[in-house]
Amino acid sequence: MSTDFILYLLLNTALVLLIAPLFSGLIKKVKAWTQGRQGPPLFQQYFVLVKLVKKEVIYSPNASWVMRAAPLVNMAAILVAALFVPLVFVPEPVGGIGNIILFMYLLALARFFMALAGLDAGSSFGGMGSSREMSFSAIIEPTTIIVFAALAIVFKSLDIFAMFAGSLATGTLATPTLILIGISLFIILVVETSRIPVDNPETHLELTMVHEGMLLEQSGKNLALMELSAAVKLTIMMALLINLVIPAGLALTLTTAGILLAALLFVLKGSVLAVIIGLFEASMAKKRLFQVPSLFAMAFFFSTLIIIIEVLA
Amino acid sequence: MIESAFLAGLIKVLFVGIIITAAYLITARNLMSLVSVYSLQSFTLVIIALLLYLIEGSPVLLAIAAITFASKVLIIPYFIATIQEKIRIKRDIQFHFLSPTSSLLLSMGLMLLVYIALSQVMEGIAERENLFFFGSVLGISLMLMGMMVTFSRKRALTKVLGFLSMENGVLLFGLFVTELPFIIEFLIVIDLIILVLLTTILTVGLDSTLEDYHKRLHRFHLWEDTEEVA
Repeated sequence: MSTDFILYLLLNTALVLLIAPLFSGLIKKVKAWTQGRQGPPLFQQYFVLVKLVKKEVIYSPNASWVMRAAPLVNMAAILVAALFVPLVFVPEPVGGIGNIILFMYLLALARFFMALAGLDAGSSFGGMGSSREMSFSAIIEPTTIIVFAALAIVFKSLDIFAMFAGSLATGTLATPTLILIGISLFIILVVETSRIPVDNPETHLELTMVHEGMLLEQSGKNLALMELSAAVKLTIMMALLINLVIPAGLALTLTTAGILLAALLFVLKGSVLAVIIGLFEASMAKKRLFQVPSLFAMAFFFSTLIIIIEVLA
Repeated sequence: MIESAFLAGLIKVLFVGIIITAAYLITARNLMSLVSVYSLQSFTLVIIALLLYLIEGSPVLLAIAAITFASKVLIIPYFIATIQEKIRIKRDIQFHFLSPTSSLLLSMGLMLLVYIALSQVMEGIAERENLFFFGSVLGISLMLMGMMVTFSRKRALTKVLGFLSMENGVLLFGLFVTELPFIIEFLIVIDLIILVLLTTILTVGLDSTLEDYHKRLHRFHLWEDTEEVA
């Protein structure tokens, strides 16, 4: 393992942790603006995390070790997955880091433990949230695989690093396949991060909640870990979309100026995407549970089309 | 002079636009946005015709672009939007035979089928004239997708939209493969306008008797009598 790679590991993790609450705060702010509210301050997410870290953790008397382990496993899985998606600097891949299939299953591991924790506390809300989350993930999994397969076929590699390098080399954002991939990835992003047509990230009390339902029994530091891991997951899904579709500015060599420029550009592109996500959410109503698969079918349709075009043409 | 490779790239991007609008026409439930998506699809066709004119330079394409713009981007969507406002139907959530999700999956299979069939028929063209081959595949697929909208929707208005999008497919196929004579294109457009006019009437009263139908026209404010009927 070269020093470059070790530096990459540190840099990527630090950046993703630092920037994640900003993006989710920005989405909240944009949604508030479109609804004519002022909304929470942009950095509110950071204050919330600090506050939660200071609070005491309380476990339900029914809770087992799963409840104690879940936030840590969740955060660890998401952070390892974050290493697979270079935000600003693409190093030479080392030992399977960057494999898109492993990436998908790391996200699935995090999700699995979150669902277990939802069940573990024994509250009925948590159980419902977990059951819904698992049904969604069972339906979305084939779609995700097809989208990632389309990516692998287009860039002729299973490695996310190689995909980013390939997309940086062509540098065009307006090829037909990339537009279709962009749409499919956007739908995957919305589903994976529990955003509006699928789940409502705002509510803790409605019967429709999925992701928040599983977090109801979490408190203190554990809740902070869960919230942070959700924000990090959002950031890496956004980075996947951004760096594939608009890769300009991504650094291939480790220089201070290049990294700074790339980081600045990434924050800029990420903010634009966050605004788009916010507007998308504000213009949509939450779909009924049984209509959500039509959203997945759209992503499935587009990515299968890509595979047909790429394989046959 | 703009490079024709660049123009061909632009046209391919617009193809994606057409696929997206076609998928939306199959799945969307809101009538208002269905109409605007149809007019967006027609507008994409107008731009494709203009870009083809820049590549090929045949003036018929300009005429087709103009007539498509006037009829399918402006007049027909305006008519449908007006009717829809009057009959106060906002959504179409009823489907026959196929749910939107299964129609999407089916249309994927249809596209594959069209692709394979056409690559057998036009052997050799696929490699030489990539753009024209894709244009024709997309044209026929759009036709079939429009057909699926026509038979899977329940409301007359959305059936008409499906039919109109079928006609867009014919136009796309005509742009890329055959030299559709302009007069035929013109006649098709006139047919379409008449169809939409007829639909304005049929949408309101297909299932009623003639007496009842007159009352309904009043109810939906489609017919304003100067004298009050006693």
